Parts: sequence; structure tokens; C-alpha cells
Amino acid sequence: MSQANQALVSSPSVAVHFDHSHRLYEPQDRLAIRYSIDGIENNERIRAVELSMLWYTEGKGEEDLGVHFFERITDRERLPPTVTIGSFVSQLPLSPLSYEGLIVKVRWCVRVRIFFAGGRDFVSEHVFELGEIPPAHTPSGDPAKLSA
Amino acid sequence: MRLPRFFGKKRGHRRTGSQAWGSFGEGLFYCVLLVAGLGFAGLLLSGAAAPEWRVNHDFVETPCTIMGKGLARYSSQEADLAGSFAKQWQPCLRLRYQVADISHESWSTALPRSSRTDRPTAIARLTAWRLNDELTCWYDPADPNSVVLERGYNWWLWLLMLLLPGALIVFGGSGLVQAIRVWGKSEEHRAASAGLPEMLDPMDHSPSEAPDHPGVPICDDLINSPGTILRYRLPIESPESWTLLGLGLFAMLWNAVVVVLAVGAGLDLLGGKIDLLLFALLVPFVVVGIVSVCVFLRGLILATAVGTTQLEISAHPLRPGERYDVLLGQGGSGTFRTLTMTLELVEQATFRQGTDTRTEQLVVWKEQVHAWQDIQLVPNARFESRVTILIPQDAMHSFTSEHNAVNWRLVVHGLPERWPSFSRIFPLIVFPPEIAPPSSKKSSSRSGQEGVL
Repeated sequence: MSQANQALVSSPSVAVHFDHSHRLYEPQDRLAIRYSIDGIENNERIRAVELSMLWYTEGKGEEDLGVHFFERITDRERLPPTVTIGSFVSQLPLSPLSYEGLIVKVRWCVRVRIFFAGGRDFVSEHVFELGEIPPAHTPSGDPAKLSA
Repeated sequence: MRLPRFFGKKRGHRRTGSQAWGSFGEGLFYCVLLVAGLGFAGLLLSGAAAPEWRVNHDFVETPCTIMGKGLARYSSQEADLAGSFAKQWQPCLRLRYQVADISHESWSTALPRSSRTDRPTAIARLTAWRLNDELTCWYDPADPNSVVLERGYNWWLWLLMLLLPGALIVFGGSGLVQAIRVWGKSEEHRAASAGLPEMLDPMDHSPSEAPDHPGVPICDDLINSPGTILRYRLPIESPESWTLLGLGLFAMLWNAVVVVLAVGAGLDLLGGKIDLLLFALLVPFVVVGIVSVCVFLRGLILATAVGTTQLEISAHPLRPGERYDVLLGQGGSGTFRTLTMTLELVEQATFRQGTDTRTEQLVVWKEQVHAWQDIQLVPNARFESRVTILIPQDAMHSFTSEHNAVNWRLVVHGLPERWPSFSRIFPLIVFPPEIAPPSSKKSSSRSGQEGVL
């Protein structure tokens, strides 16, 4: 998130509803999202809302990311405060699967990014799992155990 | 309206803030390169290329007579150590020719093969020309007193004009276009936008991905070599070979310098002159040269004495939960105390530490496939053994992105009796599990899950 002064200005609230329980998906599953945006002050004008579904890496290395779904809404008729709810559907790809490694982690998420007219933006990130790969390393430091 | 912050802080592994200034600085850098390239190209065009082009296209051919001979003197702008200004000389001829029935006389310095030189050479060159000889010259219709005796193009000038400003313009232009394209865009928007063509984006280091499998490395390089018994021969990944090559290059270049210094010192010695400074410099250079040759030869012997290791596999790419046959072939001679094969999963992360770029690897899963004890190898008959490997059902697939990777590999560790132990690495590509038909998939709950931020 790129907001440092969130406490000084109004902070929107973005609620995201996934259509699968526990946010667990399999490759090529259909992922349907419903979102709602609240907490926008009347005097704050929203320039655009971006909806994206992406994977990114975490860990020791520099962050990489790949976007699977992206939509930028700039039509005023579809932006808050006129419209505060929305949805999108996308079929998940075959890879990369979510992975909890020791120095490399792959995470999938849905991001809703709100651009305000003043130049600031607000991003809300909602992680979900693609696939069921067990963590590569146990907290005790033992080598990872993969079931054969 | 707030100005973007100059400084950002690192939150975990993510850098925050100052993105706008970063983009601005990047755009400014490429803009400076582009302007420098355009300026350089403009100078070359107006100062050298355009006059040359005019001589070849606009100048009018006419007969002329040599009326006089002389030397043009050129003095250098800076004095040498003795305080005098170096001078160069160029032969030139005074020519008489007709322009629209009007006789003109003018000096021409562009004589064939008459570059600037010292005075005696320039005078010697002038003797080739005789007064009242008839020649062909070309004059400028816009300025009839401007005349040349030679036409043509300097290919090096055009090459210089294309290469130097061209490189600056392409690099600066493509970078500026990229900076403008991403200006004000979120990281998701940037990643979702199609990038520049590979040729115009020299900073793009994204690895190749397998078709329909984002983040999974392409395995074309692993299946282009057929095996003798099984389907594919796996390529070996040997960082030691590159180290050896680097050592060899270093030893060669270093010793070339040593030879040059030694020849100079030897000639001095033969002439009865001893340059103590040169000899003092030569001693450590020779020591380093000898050590570098010894280290290189030791590495070369170790790399070649043990014998080659080959692996063949029954299929590629691999899938979790599947078994595959692997054939090990070990060449060489002598006794191996142990020879083991392991299947490993390695995470690799590339990160910046200060101004350095570092790469860290970590083996997060390892399984011994097989271990052979006390193998007796004979020349011309390699040791062969066939084993089966199993990729775990819930294993992570191979993954690669610009700075992160998860790699599968087979590693052969050997402990010869007379030589140091060695490890040879054979990369594998594991794809995600194949998707079951929709009817057999578990029906997922529709209860939903909500998150609020």
C-alpha cells in the first residue's frame, strides 16, 4: 500500500466476498468476486478504481508479480459514490500455485485500488490460495516433508 | 495536491513511496540520453555528413589546371611538454577552372591520399603533382571558390554516426517511451500492460515461460537432446565449468601482460641497462601468473580426470505423483567409494544488497534416490545403472520469475578414491499436476468467504 498518511485522511473500507469457502481454489477454477466500497467522504472525488487478480512473490528476493485479470474503471457512472458495489469473474490459470517456501513465497490475491482526484490512492488486498501445496519448511527448521 | 515523497521506507521486502520521483528520475535519465544522442547525431550530420553528401550530390564536375602547389599548416591547440605547439602539414593545390565562362582560382586541400603529416612527407607527396597538369575537379555551385579534387564517402564516418548516436537514441528513446507508458500507473496496471518489443526493451529480464503455464519455466532446452536408452539426455548444469573458463582467461591475460613486461626487461638487460623498478614490478606479476596457471591446470585436471556423468530420463517435463526412469552413466577409471543420486527442490532468490545484486539458494527438500558403493570403473566401459524417481504428489512445480525461482534437480555426488569428491547437477522441470476432468472435481462449498480491509 502506498499510503503513509492514511490516518490524516479518510480511509475507505473495501469488503471482498469470494465464492469459495476458505478462499481455496484449484487451477482453472472459476473465481467470482463481489466487492463493496464504503467510507468515501462526499467531498472526495474518485478518479478511477482498478480491480486486479494477480500473483506476487514474497521472501528474500525482490518482489515479482504477474497479473491474471485487470480492469480499470474510469466511467463516473460506475464509480463511488454513484456505485459502491461491483463484481467480476475470471477463470484461474494453471500456475503458479500458491507456495509457502522458506525464501520464496508465491501468493495470489485480489486487489481493489482506488485513485482519488487529489493524487493519492488506496489499495485493498485480499489473499486467496491457488492449489494446495504444503509449506516447504516446518517452523522448527526440519527439512520440508512432502508426501509421496 | 501533494508532492510525492522523495524518500520511501522498506516495509518487509517491499519498498514503499517515492515511486513518482523514481519514475521521474528514470524518465529524466533516458531523456538526457536521447537528447545527447540527437545532439551528437545533429553535430555529426551538420559538421561532417551533410558537407560530404553535398560534395557527392551538388558539386559540379569541371576540368581544371594546376596553377600552384603549397602546404597547409595546422597547429595543435595545446602545447606539448617542451612548450612548443605540434604542427602538421597537408599538401594542397591551386586550381584554375571555369564556372559559367568565368575563370576561378582556388586552393584545394582534399587531395587523394593526402592526409595531414609531417613537413618532409607532405613535400614529398607534392612532387607527384606537376604545374599546368589537367585534372578533374568539383566545385560548389553555391560558392564557386569551394573546390575539391576527390569525391566519395568515408564509411567509418557513417558507421560512427549510426552506431554512437544511434545507440544513445535507441536506448534513451525506448527507455523514455517505457517511462512515459508507466507514468502514473499502478504496479498492477504496468504488469498488465503489454511490454515493449524485446529488442526495444534492453532492461527486460523476464524468463521464458511454458505455454499456458505462467511462472513455469520453458523446458525446450531440456528435451532437445535424445538419450541413447531413455528418451532424453539431461543437460548438465556446471558452474564449475564457467569458473574454470574464467580462471583460464585470467591466467592467459595476466601472463600476456607478464610476457610483455618480461620482454621489455629482457631487452633492457641485453642492452646493459637494468631498470630496478621494472624488475621489482615483474617479480609479483610472475608469481601471480604462475599461481594462476597452476590453479587453472589443477581445476582442468579435476574436471577431466574423474570422467563424465550422464543422466537420461524417460519423460520430460515431469508431473507430481508420477514415476520416471532415470539412467545414470558414469565414465572414467579407478574406484569410486560412493556414488549417490539425490532429487532436490531448491529455492533461489535474487536481491539487492546496497549496490550488489546477490543470489541465494536454499535446498528445501532432498531425497536420496540411490547410493552405489565401491564401483570399479574401467576405461572405455562406463558404469550404468537404472533407477526410478518419484515426484511427490503435493510437490511445488518448477517456478521462475525475474528475481525468484523454485527449481527441481537431480544431483550426482561422487567420491573417487584418488580424487576429490564432486557434485554434478542436472536441472528438471516439474509442471503442476494435470487437471482432472470437471466431473471428478470436488464440488466446492458455496458458503463464501468475506474479507474486509
